[in-house]
Amino acid sequence: MIELIHASKRYPNGVNALNDINLKIDQGEFVYIIGPTGSGKSTLIKLLDGEEIPSSGTVNVVGINVGKLRHSKVPLYRRNIGVVFQDYRLLPRKTVFENIAYALEVIGMRKDMIRLRVRQVMNLVGLDDKGNSFPSELSGGQQQRVAIARAIANKPKVLIADEPTGNLDPAMSDEIMALLQKINREEQTTIVMVTHDLPLVNKHKKRTIVLEEGHIVADLQQGGYVQHD
Amino acid sequence: MISRFFRPIKEGFYGVGRHAAMSISSASAVTITLLIISIFLIFSFNLQQFTKDVEQSVQIAVMIDYAYEEQSQMDKIGIDIGNIEGVNEVKFSSKEDEFQYYLDGFEDEAQKEVFEPFREDNPMHNAYYVSVEDGSNLKVVADQIAQIEGVDSIDYGGESAVVLVNALNSIRTGGGILAGALSLLAIFLIQNTIKLTIFARSDEIAIMRNVGAKNGFIRSPFLIEGIIIGILGSIIPIMLSVFGYIYLYRIMDGVIISKMFVMIPPHPFVLKIGGILLLIGMAVGLVGSFFSVNKYLRWKR
Ligand SMILES: Nc1ncnc2c1ncn2[C@@H]1O[C@H](COP(=O)(O)OP(=O)(O)OP(=O)(O)O)[C@@H](O)[C@H]1O
Ligand SMILES: [Mg+2]
Repeated sequence: MIELIHASKRYPNGVNALNDINLKIDQGEFVYIIGPTGSGKSTLIKLLDGEEIPSSGTVNVVGINVGKLRHSKVPLYRRNIGVVFQDYRLLPRKTVFENIAYALEVIGMRKDMIRLRVRQVMNLVGLDDKGNSFPSELSGGQQQRVAIARAIANKPKVLIADEPTGNLDPAMSDEIMALLQKINREEQTTIVMVTHDLPLVNKHKKRTIVLEEGHIVADLQQGGYVQHD
Repeated sequence: MISRFFRPIKEGFYGVGRHAAMSISSASAVTITLLIISIFLIFSFNLQQFTKDVEQSVQIAVMIDYAYEEQSQMDKIGIDIGNIEGVNEVKFSSKEDEFQYYLDGFEDEAQKEVFEPFREDNPMHNAYYVSVEDGSNLKVVADQIAQIEGVDSIDYGGESAVVLVNALNSIRTGGGILAGALSLLAIFLIQNTIKLTIFARSDEIAIMRNVGAKNGFIRSPFLIEGIIIGILGSIIPIMLSVFGYIYLYRIMDGVIISKMFVMIPPHPFVLKIGGILLLIGMAVGLVGSFFSVNKYLRWKR
């Protein structure tokens, strides 16, 4: 499903954000990426969603060599994956319903199909009654749930999330975790989640990949936080 | 499907509205550019017409010596003329044709009668009429023809008209360069306006890309916005050109300076000019926004 082979990323300013990353994630897995700030977690996410191109090595996702995609082909690839960010990235002038529908309009889905699917995912993320609200009228946790609903609306095979709970308090974070686990279970979506939140990682144990200075220093199949020094 | 067609148009108008001041200033740049282009076009098309008229009226009449009236002699002279560089066309006119032409010049039948007896003892020369490729070569070509054996005399005129038309043609070249430069300026200004819209919408564009919007989907509203600015900018020039030319034609009575310069009648000429201006306006808008879109939408993969 996801495979990185000797993937490295060096930014134009000379920073080696990732060094020789080899990683394999199977369909249906739920994986945490953790590590100190600047260790290359977001860079890894950007390689996965095609925003950045590896300086060397290969990034394969759902059978597509992401680093080799032409600019014009990136959008088609994105339809196979959902992306969620720490800052939600909702359109402020569109309602919750419209924000989710937007992701489906963009890919040319029929109006009636869109309505059906948007209701479905709003139910899945537990926001049935918020369709007509604007993002500014929602709590952070609710906004993140809208963002997740949008990301999974077109049934992506992979959901990647860069610190989805970064701006949320522990209770809300737990809600989001429960939601992601439900999506992982019910829609068989492969989930890659970057997080800083060690208590969360310890509480909901999953395969955990630890990055440090652009290297994978641990890949814990059983999960749980390990002190590293 | 209908909404997919109208969405970019709607958002294009949104974009124009969002940066109303910028849109108006780039539209004014288009307006000024098109006004110049309009003057240039009207001038050029009319000049093209004059040039054709003048060039038709400019020719060298070559009279053949009475001693060279054998067909073979005249043919040789014709070939020699044809071989001179710069000669466009050589037409033969027999002395009988010449005589008839001379008679036809009289309105009065009685006058014609007076000359009729001369038909038997024709005083006219056999002649060649030579047109040249470039009116400014007239004298050079004429001098060479005069050297040919068997040429009695030559006659040409209209040199001053040729000089005038040539001068106007260089003005046209200058005008063309000016119009081109102004178009580039207008394209640049539109590019800047569209850039602002793109920056104002950069968050939205990032989100569009995140959810898999294709390049064309993201681009089209900006292209439409550029075209709208181009159309807005072309309204005044089109009106001014259409009504201005009709008015000009009326007060000038359809000619400039002398009967030699006949203006192109306004209908359907003004419609053609209006159409061209609209197309140029749209093209300038499209090109401007296209540059912007290609440059600034690539910042994100
Ligand atoms: N666009 C960029 N251009 C240049 N350098 C960058 C860019 N993005 C990240 N970097 C550098 O690459 C390294 C890894 O950054 P990255 O954002 O992947 O870290 P991170 O693990 O996500 O950190 P954080 O936990 O703070 O989000 C850092 O040194 C960062 O300064
Ligand atoms: Mg990060």
